[in-house]
Amino acid sequence: MNRDRSLIGWLAVPAVAYLVLVYALPLLWLLARSITGPEGISFALFRDFFADPFSWRVIGNTMRIAGLVTLVCLLVGYPVAFALARAKGVVQVILLAAIILPLSVGVVVKAFAWQVVLRRDGVVSQFLVGIGVWSEPQRLLFTETGLVIGAANVFLPFMILPIYSVVKLIDPRLMEAGATLGVGPFRRFFRILLPLTLPGVVSGIAFVFSLAVSMFVIPSLLIGDRFQTLATLTGRSFLLMRNEALGSVTATVLLVLAVMIVLLSSLLARRAGRFS
Amino acid sequence: MSEAFLEVRNASKSFGTATVLDGVALEVARGEFVSLLGPSGCGKTTLLRIIAGLTSAESGAVILDRQDITARPPHKRDVGVVFQNYALFPHLSVAENIGFGLRGRVARQEIAAIVTRFLELVRMGDFADRSVRALSGGQQQRVAVARALAVAPKLLLLDEPFSALDRKLRETMQMELKRLLRELGTTAIFVTHDQDEALVMSDRIAVMNQGRIEQLDSPQALYDRPTTPFALQFVGLSTRIFGEVTSVETDGTIAVTTAHGILRAQGRFARGSPVLLGIRPERISFGTQEGHNSIAPRLADIVFQGARVQAHFASTEDEPILLETSARLPADIAPNAVLPISWAPEDTLVFPRTADS
Repeated sequence: MNRDRSLIGWLAVPAVAYLVLVYALPLLWLLARSITGPEGISFALFRDFFADPFSWRVIGNTMRIAGLVTLVCLLVGYPVAFALARAKGVVQVILLAAIILPLSVGVVVKAFAWQVVLRRDGVVSQFLVGIGVWSEPQRLLFTETGLVIGAANVFLPFMILPIYSVVKLIDPRLMEAGATLGVGPFRRFFRILLPLTLPGVVSGIAFVFSLAVSMFVIPSLLIGDRFQTLATLTGRSFLLMRNEALGSVTATVLLVLAVMIVLLSSLLARRAGRFS
Repeated sequence: MSEAFLEVRNASKSFGTATVLDGVALEVARGEFVSLLGPSGCGKTTLLRIIAGLTSAESGAVILDRQDITARPPHKRDVGVVFQNYALFPHLSVAENIGFGLRGRVARQEIAAIVTRFLELVRMGDFADRSVRALSGGQQQRVAVARALAVAPKLLLLDEPFSALDRKLRETMQMELKRLLRELGTTAIFVTHDQDEALVMSDRIAVMNQGRIEQLDSPQALYDRPTTPFALQFVGLSTRIFGEVTSVETDGTIAVTTAHGILRAQGRFARGSPVLLGIRPERISFGTQEGHNSIAPRLADIVFQGARVQAHFASTEDEPILLETSARLPADIAPNAVLPISWAPEDTLVFPRTADS
């Protein structure tokens, strides 16, 4: 029995070796690089970084865009997850395909589609002018709104799928039971569905937020260099400016922020769902 | 019944081309315990869901306590439901489950008092703060009943609440529920496919078949005087013999010619009508008796059931002739013996023979 268990452990070796080589070691090197100066260990790089108002603007951009993208994905994805979980047969297959297939289309390909949608005479602009929300056509491409729309499009499946996997397990009779106890639909949602789907919501938020906070290609294509996030700044530092010191600092800040948000959200969820 | 507390009028429902409920009417008095008994697919759960407002009927009306609730959503009906799988809220404790329907309606202290009272009533006092996931089937069932009753519904509906429990526990829970509902004076409708359960618990039983109520009667009347062949077959055991009325006498006795000879029964049938005779197994006894229907079939099997013994006789019909007695059989009675048996003409139930009987 013990022998079997130790043998099973060996199955993880390829993955562990791979991750250590291509992920953990470079990451450690990167972190080390951010706290080593010419005179040994120093936090001078971080002090300089946080003293610069530009850095704060970049952090603000990063958090705002990631937060908005996550929010849009949550608002759009939450009902879809229910539709997907409660749909049957062909409808469910079609819905699932519609959600998963776009993942196989590269971001660069999508960017061309977004240009059609987001430019001044694009679909969104024409629609909003048509229904009278806008008085004249406007360009969404190369704006923060356009970036949020595009990024939410890419990350939406990562919100839908974890929520779907939780909703699928919820007995539809629970809502009926709530109703027969005299509780109206609005309160039933907040007292039954929301707490029960919370684990899925938290996974979805963690997925989308960590993807959105570190996205590099999408902002480059949809908004350009005027608008910097921690991820694009890290990329530029390494690729264009050859400033590895700045790059490792921004990368570290980005990593800490993302991990903090993910940990915090799962902590809150655990507190909210005592028995789940 | 002076006035119906619950009245279902002409309820119909079909899913696609299948008619699930076909113009069902039902009246239940205040404080009454009525069972809907029938095989799966007979429409009993659909009728329950229509009363609760969880399924909408295509036609018909539901009137509860003089109010037409047909168009009301389930949360405005005052109708509690105990679901087959209990549908307890897995994220809440036992006490929170029971108090679920009270929150926002009564003061916090009062909720605590009501919850405590119902925890005691269903003997779950020690489990208030447990997660419902850690409970056994019987305990979950108790919590589901307490949760439904805590909001003091006008009517309680139970959808096969004991089907997941083993037999011993089921019998205990049946008695407990019966006692609890009587104490609280709750009007209840109970869906089951288990005839024993329905007989034990109900004031009246509605036997349902193919979307219709075939007979609505007290358990005893249902057993002694089933009005349709389906009711005869579904409730209790019986022997069925097919025949044709060959003579009608002035005192209401009819003579029916069957494969077992001429058998007498009481009923109003015209000469020549095809009929189905039904006899309860405990009404048949060994030996012959003056004025009784007597036949001499071959004994096929003896089934010992403890308190009773069942004798199966070969019949010309597909099913055996059943005799049941609480007496011990003489030791020399063995399979393949041809034995005279008899029963009284008034214990012979007669039904017009229909295409499906």
